[in-house]
Amino acid sequence: MTSDERTGAPAEATGKGLSARGVTLSYGGVPVVRELSLDLPHGGLTMIIGPNGCGKSTLVKALARAIKPDAGTILLNGTDLRAYRGRAVAREVALLPQSPLAPEGISVRGLVRRGRYPHHTLLRQWSPEDDTAIAFALERTGLTELAEARVGELSGGQRQRVWIAMVLAQQTELLLLDEPTTFLDIAHQYELLELCAELHREGRTIVAVLHDLNQAARFASHLVVMHEGRVVAEGPPAEVLTAGLVGEVFGLPCDIVPDPRTSTPMVVPHAAAHRDRVRG
Amino acid sequence: MTATEERAEGARVRGARGERPRGMVVIGRRLALPMSRAALLVGVGIVLALVAASVATLTMGKLGVPLGELPTALTGGAEGKSLFVLDRLRGPRLVVAIAAGAAFGLSGALFQSVTRNPLGSPDVIGLSGGAGAGAAVVALKMPDVPVSLGALVGAGAAIALVYFSTGTGFRDPGRLIVAGIGVAAIALAITQYVVYAVERERATALTAYVNGSLAARSWEDARDIGLALLVLLPLTLALARRLDIGEMGDEIAAALGAEPKRTRTRAVLLSVLLSAAAISVAGPIAFIALTAPQIARRLTGGSGAHLLLSALTGSLLLVLADLAAQQLPMDDMPVGIYTMAIGGLYLGYLLTREWRKGRL
Repeated sequence: MTSDERTGAPAEATGKGLSARGVTLSYGGVPVVRELSLDLPHGGLTMIIGPNGCGKSTLVKALARAIKPDAGTILLNGTDLRAYRGRAVAREVALLPQSPLAPEGISVRGLVRRGRYPHHTLLRQWSPEDDTAIAFALERTGLTELAEARVGELSGGQRQRVWIAMVLAQQTELLLLDEPTTFLDIAHQYELLELCAELHREGRTIVAVLHDLNQAARFASHLVVMHEGRVVAEGPPAEVLTAGLVGEVFGLPCDIVPDPRTSTPMVVPHAAAHRDRVRG
Repeated sequence: MTATEERAEGARVRGARGERPRGMVVIGRRLALPMSRAALLVGVGIVLALVAASVATLTMGKLGVPLGELPTALTGGAEGKSLFVLDRLRGPRLVVAIAAGAAFGLSGALFQSVTRNPLGSPDVIGLSGGAGAGAAVVALKMPDVPVSLGALVGAGAAIALVYFSTGTGFRDPGRLIVAGIGVAAIALAITQYVVYAVERERATALTAYVNGSLAARSWEDARDIGLALLVLLPLTLALARRLDIGEMGDEIAAALGAEPKRTRTRAVLLSVLLSAAAISVAGPIAFIALTAPQIARRLTGGSGAHLLLSALTGSLLLVLADLAAQQLPMDDMPVGIYTMAIGGLYLGYLLTREWRKGRL
């Protein structure tokens, strides 16, 4: 990175929220995101979809400063992430990665408390706001009763809620969730998505990577479609999610029908037999 | 310990006003440190046991200072035989055992936290062996060079060898152990060669470099390890929070602003320094670093690296082992042989457990 590129701040440095400007990211030495630019709408509920290996997880990690871009800049409230100290970013942006590790023997409250780390200093590892933040996080995830339980003894669904509570306790404006529904059964998936929608209504900016296109279309205020390390479409789900796009990006022939409950676009894949007939 | 109890008391008073920070010690507006009741109780218990073991070390056996005379002897009233035992024979030896045990315990807690595995311990992965070999080479072949420097270079070389030969750094515990076996074997060969090549009359002193021994330690040794601890302990404790956060995985740690890569580098560096400091005064005493953090963790039942408790447990283990070495009818056999025998059994148990859990 030359100093020229560093000082050459992007012309359209936006206001609040996260943006990527010409970002190139690699994973294990292999570039997976190429010169990507993206503005995540402030106050929005953005869902990122795309086939496996399209770079969506890598992008989300970079947005939370968990990996560093090879080139380009990520802006938080208009300022390059590299100009921030680590904990300053962590007071604005929280990340829930795909497979976090629960330390052996930790209690639910203990794990949720770790989300308060960015608000502490070396000599002051507690603040009066901690208790309210932790209580809030436990309550919103329905874990108040389980606060003293050991994380290792919980079910997969409960454990995922503990991690959500941990990032909630961080009390950030922005929440980045990488496939938060992966290990959950369908009822718990919707429960978690409803929680995201509620938090969004309360004013938080949420960005989630999802695999399920119908869920993404139903809950997102802004949909971002990635393919081979690039953003190929973004906007309101109703405009973005078309049969053509799903066919092109996912290689899945389908129809798009309105969701009978929410009228958001719903993907109905062609049956294999039918597909063969179509192909002739 | 009374100071901490008072602080805990202060936290309780504060709690009465409705602001009760759980597991925290709060002093004024600027200072708030984690201190759970379980950890405090365990800490007090270990300290009491350590005091008892220390008293036993000074008083037991034919040469022991009689228990009734110990208070006056310790406050400067020792003379004759008691003075010799306190000042030469057992005093420095006890201080070295306490300090070296703490250094081993800390070193193990740091490395186990970084590798997120109980088996990622300095004595299992060849670090201790390397430090022992370095110390032996310097002590016997280069009398002008300080032994601690040799231990440090040996430890550094061993850990670098392990790091590069696994191909995955310190991440995969199975590879760490295999690489560690190789490095430890090389280190042992070097140590044995040096011992073999030196004249026979010095050979008894040399077993210290193979197994680790606390026999005939001097106040200089006590001062050296004491100073090393004085510098390294605060640096290690300052890393505690980041180590705990790091145990949740690199991505979440980075997103929380805990700088996992930098934390890991510092922890490994401190672990190497602590091991080298302990080994340069006591030799590569096996398995204190492996067992102390595990025992501390079991006792509190909580999570995290438990640095301070690991240090205390390390002290207690080494003092107890050295007490056995002095008092069992085996003619002051090197303490490292005892720790090797007991720690080896524990290592076997750990290996089986980790293998059953599919973590190897």
